[in-house]
Amino acid sequence: MSTFYVVQEGPVNALALNKDYTQVAIGGRNVFKVYSIEEDKFREVCNVRGSKHLNQGFSYNDVSWSPTDDHYLATAATNGHVSVWNLTKMGKAMQEQDYQDHKRTVNKVNFHASEPNKLISGSQDGTLRYFDIRVKSAVAIFYSNTESVRDVQFSPHSSYTFSAVSDNGSVQLWDIRKTEKCLQQYTAHSGPVFACDWHPEVTWLATASRDRTIKVWDLTSKPTLEYTIHTIGSIGHVKWRPQKKFHIASCAIVIDCSINIWDVRRPYIPYASFNEHRGFPSSVQWKGDPEVFLSCGKDSTLYQHSFNDAFRPAAKANPQGLSVNNKGEVIFARKNPPFHTAASTTAITTPTSLAKATVGLMRKISTTQVIDQFHHASSSLQNFFHLNEAANSESQNILALAKNYVLHGRSISELCEHNSTVAREFGKSHVSVIWKIIKTMYGEEFMQNSINSSSSNREEVPHNNISKTSNIGTGVIQMENSINNIRDLETEPNCKAASDTQTAQFSGGDDETETEDQVDHIAAAYNGFPSYLNVRSGLPKGDFSFGENELDMELDSLDSGDCYFLDFPTGCRGFNHVTTDGPDWILPNEAFPLRHELRDRSPPPEQFPNHPSPDLPEEPQAFQVEETTPPLISVPKAPKKSMWDPSNLVIEALKHHAILGDIQTAACILIVLGDCRRFLRDLDEATQEHWLLGYIEILSSYKLWNIVTQVIKLSWLPSVYQLNQQSTRINTNCGNCTKPLQRVGWLCDKCHSSGYGVCCICNQVVKGLYVWCQGCSHGGHVAHMRQWTLQHKTCPTGCGHLCEYG
Amino acid sequence: MLEAQDIQAEHKDLIHDVAYDYYGRRMATCSSDQYVKVWDQTTEGKWIQTSSWKAHSGSVWKVTWAHPEFGQVLATCSFDRTAAVWEEIVGELPGPGERGTRHWVRRTNLVDSRTSVTDVKFGPKSQGLQLATCSAEGIIRIYEAPDVMNLSQWTLQHEVQSKLPCSCLSWNPSLNKLHPQMIAVGSDDANPANGGKVFIYEYNENSRRWTKLETIGSVVEPVHDIAFSPNLGRSYHILAIATKDVRIVNLTPVEDEQSLQSGVTKLDVQTMAQFEDHNSLVWRVCWNLTGTVLCSTGDDGCVRMFKMNYINSWKPVAVLKGDSSKAQCSSNNAANGNAVTAFSGTARYIKLGSISQTRETPWH
Repeated sequence: MSTFYVVQEGPVNALALNKDYTQVAIGGRNVFKVYSIEEDKFREVCNVRGSKHLNQGFSYNDVSWSPTDDHYLATAATNGHVSVWNLTKMGKAMQEQDYQDHKRTVNKVNFHASEPNKLISGSQDGTLRYFDIRVKSAVAIFYSNTESVRDVQFSPHSSYTFSAVSDNGSVQLWDIRKTEKCLQQYTAHSGPVFACDWHPEVTWLATASRDRTIKVWDLTSKPTLEYTIHTIGSIGHVKWRPQKKFHIASCAIVIDCSINIWDVRRPYIPYASFNEHRGFPSSVQWKGDPEVFLSCGKDSTLYQHSFNDAFRPAAKANPQGLSVNNKGEVIFARKNPPFHTAASTTAITTPTSLAKATVGLMRKISTTQVIDQFHHASSSLQNFFHLNEAANSESQNILALAKNYVLHGRSISELCEHNSTVAREFGKSHVSVIWKIIKTMYGEEFMQNSINSSSSNREEVPHNNISKTSNIGTGVIQMENSINNIRDLETEPNCKAASDTQTAQFSGGDDETETEDQVDHIAAAYNGFPSYLNVRSGLPKGDFSFGENELDMELDSLDSGDCYFLDFPTGCRGFNHVTTDGPDWILPNEAFPLRHELRDRSPPPEQFPNHPSPDLPEEPQAFQVEETTPPLISVPKAPKKSMWDPSNLVIEALKHHAILGDIQTAACILIVLGDCRRFLRDLDEATQEHWLLGYIEILSSYKLWNIVTQVIKLSWLPSVYQLNQQSTRINTNCGNCTKPLQRVGWLCDKCHSSGYGVCCICNQVVKGLYVWCQGCSHGGHVAHMRQWTLQHKTCPTGCGHLCEYG
Repeated sequence: MLEAQDIQAEHKDLIHDVAYDYYGRRMATCSSDQYVKVWDQTTEGKWIQTSSWKAHSGSVWKVTWAHPEFGQVLATCSFDRTAAVWEEIVGELPGPGERGTRHWVRRTNLVDSRTSVTDVKFGPKSQGLQLATCSAEGIIRIYEAPDVMNLSQWTLQHEVQSKLPCSCLSWNPSLNKLHPQMIAVGSDDANPANGGKVFIYEYNENSRRWTKLETIGSVVEPVHDIAFSPNLGRSYHILAIATKDVRIVNLTPVEDEQSLQSGVTKLDVQTMAQFEDHNSLVWRVCWNLTGTVLCSTGDDGCVRMFKMNYINSWKPVAVLKGDSSKAQCSSNNAANGNAVTAFSGTARYIKLGSISQTRETPWH
């Protein structure tokens, strides 16, 4: 069976099949033809409308083929005529009868299923007429008492009963022998009913309406509504599918050009759709076989459809839903497993679906498993949540860190130290370490190095600045010495020398450090790092938050994070060495020889003269990134870079965190760095903005508005700090004289009162925050109002308003 | 560890989509039964249905929340060929001491599509109120509400014809100003001969048009879902694709002479991972807040999670499957009671007098 079609001269309104489904008659505007249905095409048998002598001023609304006599066709026309055609005759003689009883358009004509020669018509004039084709006029007239009859159908279950549906939404059941009054009448729809169809097996009547529903009525006794199908467009035609008890085909007259086959038990989604028509289909007739049907449409086509070519909307439908919230909770909706498995796993199915399944079991008689399951569509919804809030580490960590980080108000090193401790407390040891490193590189007490390196790169030599810092910040001999060295060296105004100095300074103390070997670079880094600690250990406690205890912590961190450091035995060894023999280190003494040594060696000096720009040589950097395991990217690499210019490595580290989704670290470090951000020249503003906005986004999803505001306020980028300046204008008017207030505060210059600035609880003028109910605009001191609303629901002034901000 | 809790959704047909709101405290579900339901979470963590209404005259495929800055706003799309925007409004207080009733009203119905509207998504907040829909006929439509306070006025800004029927779309949520607006669209076309099933579109500021940047040719199976990872600070974009397996694709904008001149981004497309863990069709993909964890669901009925490790390689990290017995007992509580609202009603506004001659005082 295949799908094929034939194009007509005009829109086709109706089609009728003969009793053995070999021929089809179609009627429409300028169309009245008979085709024989062949294997893969329609063959024209007879073109009645083609005869020139016939009246062309009307179109056929319906056509019906006699189920008893294959030669007879009946048509209903817009000019009110009901005609009977004899296919055995030719020309004008074909039209055996031409009834002109109806005064208006005839919508429907139908032969009686068993009685030959009998047919019934329904018309826009509100009447139904019963004809005997041997008689020249109607043998019975039924007055529906409605404006117009849209459809009339003989019942297949009783030879005397027929149904008629009308524009006023009512269904009437008539007995062919009783013309005076209908047997039954009920309102079925809220709009005109366009079509009805009797179920071939049970006493169901399907009705279709402009109210976009198809309803199935059980007419065994009192009409009861069995099923309702909600459709997209008004339905103009319905037809039950043979042998499939619950299936019905529908054609819409607006919006939807497809022919939909519904399972009435699942009235939401078509069981199958046929989208071949380009215009609205007008009629459907099954070819006796549930898999094949014919249809015609306003697009002037006649189709034969096969179920093989059906579109199954339900199969395309997504059976699952998934969403993750900011706490990492998951909501998951999924289609319940097919029926037969559902029975074995009853625990999963909800009580309702279980009940449905049982009903389905009883109904399941002869239909196949696949079809039977179509209507058993149900979903279960599951919420995966953290039983223990604290167990949800990621979002809890973000929250805790966001709340506890301090982003401004103290020196960089204090902020870094604090944030490092915070990160450690919440188990983020690697974030803790990166804060320490940032402190080491940009903390005020160590800034001379950074300043030095950057300034030498820029060829400005802020000597005074350095010495000042060193005097204030340290006062430790070793340190001063090293700084003096630097200063001495800086008198040579070339960056090569300066760079060399730094190398020397940092690598001091360990013989291995001069080698170019990768591991030794890291060793150098480590030796450089603890050498600071060493220097610091001589400082009075309290000047730095980085005291001896912290030093231990530092060690702990390295121990606890030993998985990170396993690959770097040299570094660890160096570290231990330092902590034990630290005091023996004298940086300056070793720095000088090293410098000379290095100068003699070609590789490092060569790199720098060639790259006088602040940009670091790319190669060693890239080398580092590849060689080290990534958690270390932020750890050992960064201090090493401080020998040169840490900026690019810091940028790399921050970018790495941003890529890993830890935007919090990246954004917070950027904020804390403050003025030191100027060293991160390669970090473009767009990225900085991106990170800040990203962090703000996360904070706002946790409703941490205060921190959002703080971040925005601390921002150095116009596009970010302007976020706080939108819609922040506030108009103040005096509550007494309604004149605008001229100054900040509550005293009105016009009436010299401060009436509306008074707290309605203590009657004092409020200085500072004034909170008021947006409903009644009474308010006062925040604390007073809070206290009041804890105990009361109504406004403290007694105005009767329910102020609901408790 | 995650616990499973069954929620009695009481939808009469398949649930096609669920969506948390921005704060993760509300949830919307939509179903083939043509209803949309909104749920609120109590402080004890129970989900309580607070609204339920018939939203469409066909299956409701997708439901999505707008950023809360625009109010409590949902968008839905349906088999009935429309997409709709809904807003929750709080009714008049019924009496002293009682909470206002809440209900959702349809603000607009977008009827441009001639076939089933398969997905609807709000654009990034920074671009105002934008809505993208895609349909089975393969047309992507971008709507915009010029006045964010007026949700009933939406103008169709762009119509982009894709050569295949569309099944899903995702906006690139990047907050970076240098990243032009980007949309990825997936097709559920079943014929592998029709080529790639994922298309990347970008808005070009110069031509003011959406243009196709890329077709991801490596995905030729039907695509059921697609999701850009939240991009809070990366220079490149990550796209998750639900097809016969889970794909993770990196889209890196390439900056070269040509792209700078034309203003059209060139993308370097790199498949980072391909997981067949579901061993069946994959239906949905979804990212967590920070874009570090990808969740996927498939016909195996499991939620699987994938995480990127520090060397940028993706690894499966968890499988969620509801424990039915446990879920059963906790579900009973969620089923009853739909009148309790988790939120308090807002106050009534009373006009106290006319303000004449206001003086604007900048807050700063």
